[in-house]
Amino acid sequence: MSFSNLFHNYHYIGAMILFCIGLYTVIMRRNIIKKIIGLNIMETSVFFFLISIGFLEGGLAPIHVEGVEASQMVNPLPQALILTGIVVAVSVTALALSMVILLYRQYGTLDVDNLMREEAEEEEETPQEKEGMGE
Amino acid sequence: MKRALSLVFILGLAVLLLYVVGNMPSMGDPQNPTASHVSPHYLERGVEETGSENAVTSVIINYRGYDTMGEVTVIFCALAGVLAVLGREKKGRIYAYTDHSKVRSSPIVRTFLIFLVPFIIMFSVYTILHGELAPGGGFQGGAVIGASMIIFTTIFGLWEASKSIPQKLRIPLEGTAVMAFFVVGVAGLIGGGSFLTFLMPRVTESLQPALVTWLTVIVEIGIGVGGAMIFTSILFSMIREEEEIVVQ
Repeated sequence: MSFSNLFHNYHYIGAMILFCIGLYTVIMRRNIIKKIIGLNIMETSVFFFLISIGFLEGGLAPIHVEGVEASQMVNPLPQALILTGIVVAVSVTALALSMVILLYRQYGTLDVDNLMREEAEEEEETPQEKEGMGE
Repeated sequence: MKRALSLVFILGLAVLLLYVVGNMPSMGDPQNPTASHVSPHYLERGVEETGSENAVTSVIINYRGYDTMGEVTVIFCALAGVLAVLGREKKGRIYAYTDHSKVRSSPIVRTFLIFLVPFIIMFSVYTILHGELAPGGGFQGGAVIGASMIIFTTIFGLWEASKSIPQKLRIPLEGTAVMAFFVVGVAGLIGGGSFLTFLMPRVTESLQPALVTWLTVIVEIGIGVGGAMIFTSILFSMIREEEEIVVQ
């Protein structure tokens, strides 16, 4: 492992640190919305990492205009993939947040520990009425 | 104890990831494996093969058209999931906190927003239509329209916002993105190629570049309108509150 290479790839280091921050948020926070924010931080770090892979020293945007050679342009493939990734991330976040809204309406709390406790209590009290819990 | 274990796990992961990153090829080097396989082909042959000056657009819509079609289906499924969980907003039930808030938004904000929103929408139309020549495209423009709807809804409330884009208009337009891809794909089949080909063997050579450009524009507009409507519908169904929660 060469340290000079590691410091040259400082974009990658930033992405990895961001990933660990996001994972820390997902694991340690008890509020579900903060967990979703952590998930978004992790997604952002992955986007950052992939975009950095496509980077070229002194590269230009991959758009064909006069005076720009194809060899000067950055790699367009990661950018296209990240566009797909961003849309999927938005979809996941929207679905997760809608489920959080439903959860809050049902239980009135967003704390994971409280949610687990309430569910356990409900199962102890009324095991036979669980079918009608829908709304 | 649990906390310490999690911290140790995350720190271990960080060390592992940094070790892997340290062994990766150096960033920005033209000799990188990422820059030597498929991307030179996209960059050098993209213009003549797809007729689009923006290499990112040509990758998204032409070379990886199936990918983008799946992606469009993903946001459509996300909307379907949100609506299945929360339900669409209904007439007479569309109240939100902003509609009943005791603190009305200030006149300065409202007046400024009325001037601002047309410009945001104009910018997004530019982004959508110019996507094959400049940075931009359907998803970006659709997201900008969605952002303008979010600003409008937070200031004016759901009632005004859902009057400006009524549900009757939104429901047919939500599927435009998938429909645009389907129409262009079937047009490729009719023109003698395979599904989602823009270059059609049965069409004469002189008509070919114009046809490719127009099909690209159709797909971009479809993605833009569909994406904007899907974002707006997700926002509206999330912001809707049940009557008993609303403070009258």
